[in-house]
Amino acid sequence: MTEIQEGQLRFVFPDHCEAAKYDAWEFYRKSFQSIASGTKAVDIICISQDTSWLIEVKDYRHHPRTKPIDLDDEIARKVRDTLSGLAAASANAQDSGERVLATRALTKQRWRVALHIEQQPGSKLRPQPINRADVLQKLRRRLKAIDAQPLVVDGPKFGSDEPWIVQ
Amino acid sequence: MVLKSLEIRNFTAFPEAKLDFATGLNVIVGENGTGKTHLLKLPYAVTAVSAHEGRRQARQPTRAFLQTRVADKMVGVFRPEEGRLGRLARRQRGRNRCEVRVDFRKPSTSIGFNFASQNKSEVVVDRVPSNWRTERPVYLPPRELLTIYPGFVSLYETHDVEFEETLRDTCVLLGSPRVRGPRDPNVARLIKPLEDQIGHVVLERNGRFYLRQAGGSNMEMPLVAEGWRKLAMLAQLIATGSILDKGALFWDEPEANLNPRLIREVAKAILSICDAGVQVFVATHSLFLLREFEVLVKRQFQHVQQSYFALRRDDNEVQVSQSDEIDDVDPLILLDEELQQSARFLEEFMP
Repeated sequence: MTEIQEGQLRFVFPDHCEAAKYDAWEFYRKSFQSIASGTKAVDIICISQDTSWLIEVKDYRHHPRTKPIDLDDEIARKVRDTLSGLAAASANAQDSGERVLATRALTKQRWRVALHIEQQPGSKLRPQPINRADVLQKLRRRLKAIDAQPLVVDGPKFGSDEPWIVQ
Repeated sequence: MVLKSLEIRNFTAFPEAKLDFATGLNVIVGENGTGKTHLLKLPYAVTAVSAHEGRRQARQPTRAFLQTRVADKMVGVFRPEEGRLGRLARRQRGRNRCEVRVDFRKPSTSIGFNFASQNKSEVVVDRVPSNWRTERPVYLPPRELLTIYPGFVSLYETHDVEFEETLRDTCVLLGSPRVRGPRDPNVARLIKPLEDQIGHVVLERNGRFYLRQAGGSNMEMPLVAEGWRKLAMLAQLIATGSILDKGALFWDEPEANLNPRLIREVAKAILSICDAGVQVFVATHSLFLLREFEVLVKRQFQHVQQSYFALRRDDNEVQVSQSDEIDDVDPLILLDEELQQSARFLEEFMP
């Protein structure tokens, strides 16, 4: 079991998964982040069976936050940059753990993208301030070439698609 | 009837566009003033001319006949000022020629014509069909027609009234006799969920529509809720067999005046109509309706072919983006507005 703390959320991955906080990798921080006037990174990568997951966390209970209308652009950019970062890390990361995980991520059959949104309950008219269906539709439009069925999840539920739980 | 494509050049706000239609559901989205309704009315007008002549079987299509007939129908359907057809050509400096080509799956019925901005009442037919069509198209405006029905057709025929011809055409269909005998199973299947919601639609001898409700009493249409009248209009057109005539259904803003529960019924009805082999064209502003389509297609109507068209106005012209998936057309302003509202909500209530 691997546990990753992301802000106030704890992601718990079962034993068959390998997960890492990609945006904290030494390779990303020291070597890759500054390329081409700056690259972005998703928060977590996770390898589970035949799938490599790119996981981004947005906690709307705290500032700073991205406007919902801009989420798709930001996430598409992070996903794009992370894919190229993993390709570079698999060859050039000094840390062998990072190198091995990046290499393994690149050999899997599928890329999946998951966005985890945390938000406070809104008003009666807007019980969820941000409608997950809206964000999902935006993301699908943007990420089709990488993952035609991205996930937008909130709360701790253990979905049929994603292998992790959030506490 | 299957409409394959519509090709236009210099038509109203469109400099140039080619729309390839799906055999099932065709959805047009775009903000007000982008010309959604124009893209419904144009193919309607052309198919209505062909179907009208095809059913009368009085004559074969000729260039000379089509020249005036198509122009008359366009003027009736679009109602340009002073009946001047040329006003439908895109407004630019100097003269401008509008070109239209409507292709059907059966090529012998395809029609092409053009007219100049100074033309009054004739088009130049550059593609004469060798056959008429026989299946009648149906046009549904955003508002119901059951309350204006009494006497409307005779008023239209005897006076010079300013109403669009689509209203007259649809009123004629509303008054057609219901399908009798062993009803087409599709009719029964399509009507039941609508009648479960609102009751039975009856056309009494006095030429007025009523809703017969559970207790058996008749409610006159003007007293019935606006949304219910719309469902009643749809039910009546199904009952008369007009919609299942395999023509095509053109429906402008099906969601107008309906509450979300009725929009669900309408979404289901539209896909069931597609499923029965009728090509449907819808112009909409409703994200709710689009999402209802999406869910229903995944759940029950996977085999209904779909096309989506998004209209974007840049400066003074409108461009069309199309795809067989809603996710691939651009822009989807309805969705952007929804997300911008989320942002405003967050700013005001969760700073």
